[in-house]
Amino acid sequence: MTNKKKYGLFSAVIMGLGGAIGFEIFALLNYAYFDLAGPSMISALAFCGIINLVTMLSYSELSAALPEVGGEYTYTKVAFGGIISFMAGCLRWLASIFGGALAAVVFVDQLGVLFSVFAPPIQDLVLVNASILIIGLVVILIVLAIRGVEEATTFIVAAFLAIFILFLFMSVGYTLTPQNIVPKASPNSLVVFFATTAYIFPMFVGMRALVAGASQIKNPGKNVPRALMITTILLTVVYFGVAFVAVGVVPFDMPRTVGDPPLLNLAASMIMGPVGGILFAIAGIIASISSVGTAMSVQSSILGGMSRDGYLPNMLQKIHKRFGTRYIAIITSSLFVIFFGTSGAVEFLGYAASFGSLLVFALVNLSLIQLRRKMPRLDRPFKAPFYPLTPLAGIVMSILLLTFPVILRDVNAESALLSSLGMVAIVLVTYYLRMVKREIDFNRLRVAVGGICFGAGITLIVLTPSIAPLSLFSIMILVGLVSIIAGILNIAASARKID
Amino acid sequence: MFGIAQGVIGVLSIFLALLLFLNLLEVQTVFNAPPELLPLYLLILGLFSIFSVINGFFLIKEWWR
Repeated sequence: MTNKKKYGLFSAVIMGLGGAIGFEIFALLNYAYFDLAGPSMISALAFCGIINLVTMLSYSELSAALPEVGGEYTYTKVAFGGIISFMAGCLRWLASIFGGALAAVVFVDQLGVLFSVFAPPIQDLVLVNASILIIGLVVILIVLAIRGVEEATTFIVAAFLAIFILFLFMSVGYTLTPQNIVPKASPNSLVVFFATTAYIFPMFVGMRALVAGASQIKNPGKNVPRALMITTILLTVVYFGVAFVAVGVVPFDMPRTVGDPPLLNLAASMIMGPVGGILFAIAGIIASISSVGTAMSVQSSILGGMSRDGYLPNMLQKIHKRFGTRYIAIITSSLFVIFFGTSGAVEFLGYAASFGSLLVFALVNLSLIQLRRKMPRLDRPFKAPFYPLTPLAGIVMSILLLTFPVILRDVNAESALLSSLGMVAIVLVTYYLRMVKREIDFNRLRVAVGGICFGAGITLIVLTPSIAPLSLFSIMILVGLVSIIAGILNIAASARKID
Repeated sequence: MFGIAQGVIGVLSIFLALLLFLNLLEVQTVFNAPPELLPLYLLILGLFSIFSVINGFFLIKEWWR
């Protein structure tokens, strides 16, 4: 199948905006404003734009030099190959899973906000049956994705921009009173500021859709970097403007209860009346549905790509005979979206999506440095300026944004980081199980796993008296003993076969 | 036999992690699990379950041969 180049600069910018503008602005600003940084969230937004711009310079160079389908996965594969590219693909997939799950949660929230305007009893019904609605939404989108139904990206982007411009226009006559939009120069304020930046970062990452579709863009060496820069600037300006108005009309210390509309919906109803509330709720619903659909498409293509390269089982690249879509990959990814979506944990999912993307950004910046060293004569229509400062700045920023929310002791961030690290451990195990071929390597792996279980069993038996309730004492001792014996059996069986 | 037992333990650990996460059947109260330590418990259970399943799989594969 050949990729026909059919998109010019304008379409490329629409692609970037379409990937980025979505449900995140309806979900993430709420916690960032009311629970984290208050009015200085606006500065965090601007800072996000700057960080994104720096990393997009790396993306621009890589996408211009390697305009193949695959995005980050392709860049890390060419630069490093092996475990690094597998890790990049998996992290990208995980970030997409968490993003899709968050979008599904926001769909239910916005549906509730819509009904709160003219049918409050239905809002209660919606919130109580949130899990069922999320499952229903994902199942419908699975069917559409398998059938290969494409969304009208241009229309959605145009509609969103129109709504935001209307919102900004109508705020002109309104008295805006945002105060303290610049964070104070104290250690705690700066930690909160960086944590907020990390939390709202997913608002920008969707523009990578432009990079993933670079093979379809005419003259990609010039148009992709230009489109990335234009998209980043446009997005930062729009987000900054909308957030400035929202923060200006909604006091951050106003009393809040469960079920209150999110920040943007509240600001819209204050400026534009009930019509504004309804308009933004509808926009939020459309954005969420679109984001879940996009996430499914991204997830399935990542799984399909890694399956094609031998990292994952072949069945994931199986194509539906009638619709020509990777239906097994779509269904597999969607099950994870349902699992995380039904948790309803917006703050956790926001951080988790952000952390996955930040790790991928760090790997992309590393890939840029590696390719400059490994392939200095590669044709680079666009070169990231101020090299190596730009990729190094991107890596440092990614690491800082990963750590500050944890320093803040934000429980949601800690849960998200631990979950992300746990997923990374699963990715490593999956890789080694998949890629180990030689009999001796297999037996070494078996000894290693046996050793881990042996150690885990001993640890469990030692810790049981202090951590286990009396009712579960004997069960935990039994589990520990089984782990010890099973571990010894694997070690003994494999050790004999290793030279 | 130990392979099957270890595999079953691994799968049950996943279920336990799910129960803890969703707090079904009030398991958080049963285990006196403080909410701030919940992610740590889930991580430990998750890793333990993975390695238990893999360990059990190796033993079953050996027995099957």
